[in-house]
Amino acid sequence: MGPRVVSCIAILVCALLQAACGTFPANPPLAKYDKSAGYRFDPLPDEADKRDEMFVILVFSGGGTRAAALSYGVMEALRDTRIQWQGQSASLLDEVDVISSISGGSFPAAYYALRGPRIFDEFPDKFLYRRVQSDLIRSALTPPNWFKLAGSSFGRSDLAAEFYDREVFGGGTYADVIAQHTRPFVILNATDLSTGAQFPFIQDQFDLLCSDLSGVKLARAAAASSAFPGGLTPLTFQNYAGTCDYRQPNWVEKAIKDHKSRLNASRTARADRRVAYTQTETDSKTNAVQPSRKYIHLTDGGVADNIGLREPLTAITSENNSWSVLTRINFKQVNKLVVIVVNAATNPAIKRDRTPKVPGLRDTVATVAGIPLDNYSFETLETLRATVKEFNNEMDLISGCKDLAANKGPQCTLDIPTPHQIEFFPVEVAFEYIQSDEDRNWFKNLPTSFELPRETVDRLRAVGRQILGEDPQFRKLMEELK
Amino acid sequence: MEYVIVIYPTNRFVYIDGEKGGITNDVLRVSEGTHEFDLGNLKNYKPESQEVVVQGTTVIKPLEIVFFKKDR
Repeated sequence: MGPRVVSCIAILVCALLQAACGTFPANPPLAKYDKSAGYRFDPLPDEADKRDEMFVILVFSGGGTRAAALSYGVMEALRDTRIQWQGQSASLLDEVDVISSISGGSFPAAYYALRGPRIFDEFPDKFLYRRVQSDLIRSALTPPNWFKLAGSSFGRSDLAAEFYDREVFGGGTYADVIAQHTRPFVILNATDLSTGAQFPFIQDQFDLLCSDLSGVKLARAAAASSAFPGGLTPLTFQNYAGTCDYRQPNWVEKAIKDHKSRLNASRTARADRRVAYTQTETDSKTNAVQPSRKYIHLTDGGVADNIGLREPLTAITSENNSWSVLTRINFKQVNKLVVIVVNAATNPAIKRDRTPKVPGLRDTVATVAGIPLDNYSFETLETLRATVKEFNNEMDLISGCKDLAANKGPQCTLDIPTPHQIEFFPVEVAFEYIQSDEDRNWFKNLPTSFELPRETVDRLRAVGRQILGEDPQFRKLMEELK
Repeated sequence: MEYVIVIYPTNRFVYIDGEKGGITNDVLRVSEGTHEFDLGNLKNYKPESQEVVVQGTTVIKPLEIVFFKKDR
């Protein structure tokens, strides 16, 4: 065999290998930006709309199957909670307007978006009781997938997304979710690896990339939301910015103006992040205009916010949000605001402090990586409490002023115009609220994994229902809705 | 949270940064920062829009933003 033949065979083998190597399935481009099309929250109605009088937001944290099962248990409890609302008996789950989810919590959220109430027949066997982690490892060890994984633009999360698509979501896309024309509006959150910002899977975010979310599979959204760093790779999405006549909302320019004055830094940061996705540059060789960030790499949503509450908090406190709850409150459409946070955070017992031994590198790095996330989650929940307090303090201040003035005599009675008042019900389902020390410790020591024993899943489902039922704010809400 | 009241002789939509944000003569909650207020496309009012820095307000002392009817 001559050297020429050997070269030819080598080239052929390389070409075959290249063909076998996987590449990520690109998210489709958006032909033309249309602010009323795609997966968005309902537009603000012109007429008085009673549907939002009670606005319910569900928030599902990360935490693998532990989080998925706890969230699912809360959904079961809400399904079984009958309320009297607007003269009719209804299930509280049917009143949920928005679900915001992270990582493990994204699986029941996405499944509910796709299959609605059928989740209660299908999801436990399709996901909760399944040894997903073993299946994912087996899939990665299957020889044909070695070639796929050899590709530089195809990672373990792409493989996981294929598995979820095949075994859990049955090929479902956001187009299937849009076609249902129903609430809740489900927001799966990932994290932009380069900026550390939350990346919600909604059309408002995909507009920035000039990409059409309706062509994206729910499995890829769930895989991005749960791409736990280390075990799973980030997922790649293509940025087509500059190709769809996209225009930023007006607030972005105003917020950027506030850089100098340092007013509302979080709003300015949100504006900056939006602009960064849409920036383009001209290729010096071809003169073609292309996005400065041609590819967006997404990792686990828990890196930016492991509760899933940041996006809803922005919607509650700002009019500059694509599904602003604040605007609905200003329009007097919301009277009761219910935020149910399902937080599957654990606090495993640590043996480290029982010995003078210097902690090892692995222990130290793993712990140090987790501490800021836990602290941030704590701060996120504190922000929710502060927001509730801010709404409540308004009325206290007004009535205090009125009382003070009235004490000076009837001629001093004040007529203070007030913003529309709401009742705010912050409900928290977390293991720390389990009464029994033994049970609480057991739940707080559960691992973060995509497979748990069936009896553990069942206990999580049951405890989700139990903690929800015991939450003082939830009980208060139930009293009012009897 | 900041508070504004957009004053106008009649009730009509208030647009905040180009989006429907409330009704005139109601106290509205807005986020701190620079905002543009207008009353929509029917331009029978003046000024056409107002860019305002909203900060330091309280619920009992909202920022007043006044629009007038345009003389015919």
